[in-house]
Amino acid sequence: MTMGRLAGSKLLQRLPVSIWVLALIVVVFALFLPGFARIENLTNVLRVGAILALASYGQAIVLISGGIDFSIGSSVALCSVTTALAIQQWPLGLALTVGFASIIAVGAINGLLVAYLKLSPFLVTLGMLLLVHGFAAIAAGGLPVEVPDREGIHTLSGGGLLGVPYPVLIAALAAVALHVLFERTTLGRSWFLIGSSRPAAEATGIRLRRNIFLAYVLAAAFVGVAGLILTSRVAAGEPNLYPTLPFETMAACAVGGIPLTGGRGSALNAVIGVIVIAVLNNAIVLLNFPAYAQLALLGAIMVGAVIAQGVPSWTRLARIRSL
Amino acid sequence: MASASSVGPDPRSSDAAVIAARQPQASARDDVLLEARAIVKEYGSTKALQGADLTLRAGRIHALMGENGAGKSTLVKILVGAAVPSSGTVALQGRPVRFDGVSEAIAAGIVPIYQQSTLFPNLTVLENLFAFETAALHGVARYRSVQRRRLAQQMLDRIGLVVSLDQPVALLSLGEKQLLEIARGLGRDCKLLVLDEPTAALSQGDTNRLFAALRRLAAAGVGILYISHKTNEIQQIADEITVLRDGVCVISGAPLKSTPMQAIVSAMVGHTFNVGEKSLPVVGAPVLTLESAVCRAGDPEISITVHASEILGVAGLAGSGAEEIGAMLAGALACASGALRVNGRPVGRMGDRAAAVAAGIGYVPADRSVDGLFPGHDALRNASASILEHLTKFGLLSSRAESIRLSAALTDVSLSPNQPWRLIDEFSGGNQQKVLLARNLAVVDVKALVLVEPTRGVDVGARDIIHDRILKAAAAGLAIALISTDLEELTSLSHRIAIVRDRRLTAELPRLSSPAAVASAMLGESR
Repeated sequence: MTMGRLAGSKLLQRLPVSIWVLALIVVVFALFLPGFARIENLTNVLRVGAILALASYGQAIVLISGGIDFSIGSSVALCSVTTALAIQQWPLGLALTVGFASIIAVGAINGLLVAYLKLSPFLVTLGMLLLVHGFAAIAAGGLPVEVPDREGIHTLSGGGLLGVPYPVLIAALAAVALHVLFERTTLGRSWFLIGSSRPAAEATGIRLRRNIFLAYVLAAAFVGVAGLILTSRVAAGEPNLYPTLPFETMAACAVGGIPLTGGRGSALNAVIGVIVIAVLNNAIVLLNFPAYAQLALLGAIMVGAVIAQGVPSWTRLARIRSL
Repeated sequence: MASASSVGPDPRSSDAAVIAARQPQASARDDVLLEARAIVKEYGSTKALQGADLTLRAGRIHALMGENGAGKSTLVKILVGAAVPSSGTVALQGRPVRFDGVSEAIAAGIVPIYQQSTLFPNLTVLENLFAFETAALHGVARYRSVQRRRLAQQMLDRIGLVVSLDQPVALLSLGEKQLLEIARGLGRDCKLLVLDEPTAALSQGDTNRLFAALRRLAAAGVGILYISHKTNEIQQIADEITVLRDGVCVISGAPLKSTPMQAIVSAMVGHTFNVGEKSLPVVGAPVLTLESAVCRAGDPEISITVHASEILGVAGLAGSGAEEIGAMLAGALACASGALRVNGRPVGRMGDRAAAVAAGIGYVPADRSVDGLFPGHDALRNASASILEHLTKFGLLSSRAESIRLSAALTDVSLSPNQPWRLIDEFSGGNQQKVLLARNLAVVDVKALVLVEPTRGVDVGARDIIHDRILKAAAAGLAIALISTDLEELTSLSHRIAIVRDRRLTAELPRLSSPAAVASAMLGESR
């Protein structure tokens, strides 16, 4: 094989398979779905997708390090409730800080339990999903907490710069930050190694507990930004804010090409996965399908992605099994 | 007997083999059980096999040798139904067969036993023995416990494995697990047993028991295909031998008695190599010291010192605690008491590998697939894992620094193919082991290396290179602890050999002790 061909095939190999899936559905919808290809619609797709993107970046970190995070489904709700409560007494900036901090706290608890007590991430974060939801509901007093209108809280989700909505801008910047974190930091690299083989990571001297803890905390930081934008959009403290979020982020990661078994993936994978989910959600709206069709689709996508990812690992397993 | 290797499919052989299987005493020694003819297998443009022949007879132990990449895995895959040949024929007892999957081959009586454990660690010995039968039952399993236990006990007895039926498999030693796996394979109606490196993880005692069991099975008419890198084992156990090199048979079904070992080795590697005495460097000052360490309640205290330029061999049967001593020396095992020092300075908390790496202790663990490799990542990333903090520029990882530094390290261990960006999963076992060695040789300011079974399941060529690099590292002043069950390796490389038995250090043998002396010390026999 010549060097040129080698380099060319390397480049193609580096592009995630999911990008072709995305290209396919975008082309199909653009051709056959009236209203899809309009600028306003596409901007809207990205605006809505930005929140999912930020939360999915957090999920990607946890998945790659070999864990999973269900708790984000209620930690964004907790964020909205604490922000809404804080805003009634404190200035906006401080209230947003409180909201952000509450998500970081959830991440830190996840991290402590998973990394230092070596508990199953699945069970810990599932438990936290319920616990935090209950806590948010208690704090809110069972009803959504209203936010006074004067505060300009809408700016974060509604404003923009040169026609680009802030959420999209933030999600794009965060994608770059995630890329740097994954590809250019020792912490990011260690997540990949831990997710690939925890005992091997331990034997090579990687600081397992610290780095797994930091995975949950940094994941919470990305989710925290998603939580603030969500809070800004609903402008209320809503204890039932986004219950399907953990599943949407997992579907996004799975579709984008980040295996739920850990050790592999990239920021680009997460971005592509999120756009696929956002485009499909948008198509459901444009087609006037009922909202619950979205749930069914989400489930189907997730299972489908897991099956698609499983195919190579089946063949690999067959290879191992057969010497 | 020599001419038997070229006997073609015989219409009578099918019936004859059946009779042979039923009547082990009958003299049916020349009955062909399985015959592969002119097997070619192409993967894309590469030819893994270019016309290989293999004739396996009932009641014979047939050794299959060859370096990794010689095509032996491919040939075995085809025999056990895990791959389909591009051309060529396979006949079972005279009838042409084409297995569609391993389960069909097993149903036909060809039972493969793999290197990788296929046992269920959380189930008991009994449950594991009947795992496949249980899985095949529909509805509620009829669980006749008394009968089953008796049958299970017979299966264990057949191979000489003494463990409780109710013990979880996770608690068995590596050697016991391997024997259990074979016992389970034998449990089925087995005409041909295919063993891939069965002794890679076994101690000498377990190996001897396995060999005794294999001889009994052969005498009972079972054909055995025995794949191994260990020439001394082949000499002990095999009746005939096939050697593959570059996809062709360089020795084809020759009787072992008339084939000198030197001829087999040079057929494998394609050239003869020096088997002469290795010269070891002069030993320096103490470097790595383990002081009165106790890592499991009730264990005796362990103290060991390894000096600069010294290769300390540590020998012990599977389950003797030798591997744990390796982990203790590497700072990988949390200990209740005791201390680990490098050049007199204590190495943080015991069990903290990060501190041990910072102190310059490299560690190649026993089980490379579980504790060593990062599957799904390239060789480069596998090699750089221990020195990530030293590959940063302005706080960010520099892929340039990483590739320059570790490409050189991988070239140093003769990685083959020398493609640092190739996934680690795609390298042979020997080359994976070279990557692990490179990872630890690259540790910044490395002062000591703890190598546990560094050449387990590795081909002759890679073994030579690894041994050469170990000697070079010692010559460069590193203190090296070599924990191994490979007596040849231990006796040829070690300055002295510490014997571990029942979790304590029982003896120390000097340089140039014979493998037999080491073996009897390991077994605790008086010499």
